[in-house]
Amino acid sequence: MIDFHQVEKHYGHFHVLKSIDLHVEEGEVVVVVGPSGSGKSTMLRCINRLETITSGGLTVDGITVNERKTDINKLRKEIGMVFQHFNLYPHKKVIDNITLAPVKVLGLPKAEAEKTAMYYLEKVGIADKAQSYPNQLSGGQQQRVAIARGLAMKPKIMLFDEPTSALDPEMVGEVLDVMRNLAREGMTMVVVTHEMGFAKEVADRVIFMDQGQIVEEAAPAEFFASPKEERTRTFLSRVLSH
Amino acid sequence: MDFSILTNYFDLYLRGFWGTLLSSVLALIGSFVIGTVIAVFRITTIKALRWFGTGYVEFIRNIPLLLVVCIFYYGPSAIGFTLDGFKAGTIGLAVYTSAFIAEAIRAGIMAVPKGQMEASRSSGLSYVQAMVHIILPQAIKLVIPPLGNQFINLIKNSSVLTLVAGFDLMYFADSISTETYRTFDTYIFVAVFYLVLTVPLSYGVRVWERRLQSKY
Repeated sequence: MIDFHQVEKHYGHFHVLKSIDLHVEEGEVVVVVGPSGSGKSTMLRCINRLETITSGGLTVDGITVNERKTDINKLRKEIGMVFQHFNLYPHKKVIDNITLAPVKVLGLPKAEAEKTAMYYLEKVGIADKAQSYPNQLSGGQQQRVAIARGLAMKPKIMLFDEPTSALDPEMVGEVLDVMRNLAREGMTMVVVTHEMGFAKEVADRVIFMDQGQIVEEAAPAEFFASPKEERTRTFLSRVLSH
Repeated sequence: MDFSILTNYFDLYLRGFWGTLLSSVLALIGSFVIGTVIAVFRITTIKALRWFGTGYVEFIRNIPLLLVVCIFYYGPSAIGFTLDGFKAGTIGLAVYTSAFIAEAIRAGIMAVPKGQMEASRSSGLSYVQAMVHIILPQAIKLVIPPLGNQFINLIKNSSVLTLVAGFDLMYFADSISTETYRTFDTYIFVAVFYLVLTVPLSYGVRVWERRLQSKY
């Protein structure tokens, strides 16, 4: 579904991604962990071309992402994205946040888009907030709206860029619950997160990145119980010891 | 104060008032549309458009308004057609003001968090769709106060039409004062007519701002 082949990325002199090889299967949940600045968000953002790559190959659903003739808007319809800071549209009601892209990009009639929106709002447990503005919602609720907004496009892939990092601790659970259900239903997911519990429980595979490289990848049981690389062990001892 | 000037020449004042009002409304709409387009030009990734936008703003806002109007008044006859004073003045006014509006809107666009564009683009919206539905509505809200100032300046600057015989308030005031020889009184009444336009506008802008503020 997603294929990185020897992907390199430079920001000027800074080498952000170093020969990334990653393959994500349909229906797989891949969780990416690593210290800040390790390039994990950048890697994620390459998948829907919010970031361009310097060299190497990257295909999503068989389509080469960084090619002139690729219709990026068409590809992005298949890829939902959830951001650390939710990025809901503050001037639109929750329901309009969700129906915008289905109406404008997929060309759905407004009524149908609203029906779909309500279905997903119910799914994330906040159908009663459809007529509210984002700033009237808590952080956890906003992030659940953002997930519903992504799902309303019926994407094949969902990308999560530190979806719980900006939340108060007591709201992390409700967002992870929604993501857990999504994973159970077979959505292809790539999740950048610091939630090790989530990785352990939900991931099919855990990727550890450091300094722009994929240092280690393994099934979660193996990854957390017996990490092979020294850098992974150091990282895990830091994040798990508190 | 000689109020008989006002009553005797009321129809002339009124003609001037309508001239100023019409010119201002047209220039206001024109400058807003041109200004928004230029603002978007200035921030796109397409180099040619960016250069054009920057050149436009730097040229227009760094020459006097009167000169801009003269370009539209005398310029067309050099290439074989004519614009009357009202049209040339109104176009000049729109073009001149659009440079300032472009700068205000550009600042507003820059102040909208980057994540808004990323969220809209990643959902499959095109750049133009993202601008129209997500970025500009938020940018406009941020720039209402400076925009209001520009619109008030525009109304006052419309007095430049006088110099190209644009039949605005100041133009008729000139002719009234040459008949009455009561220059000061004549112009004081003109000020009142300008205030009738500008005070409600600045009040309206404040109401508009507050309404958007309370919505979200």
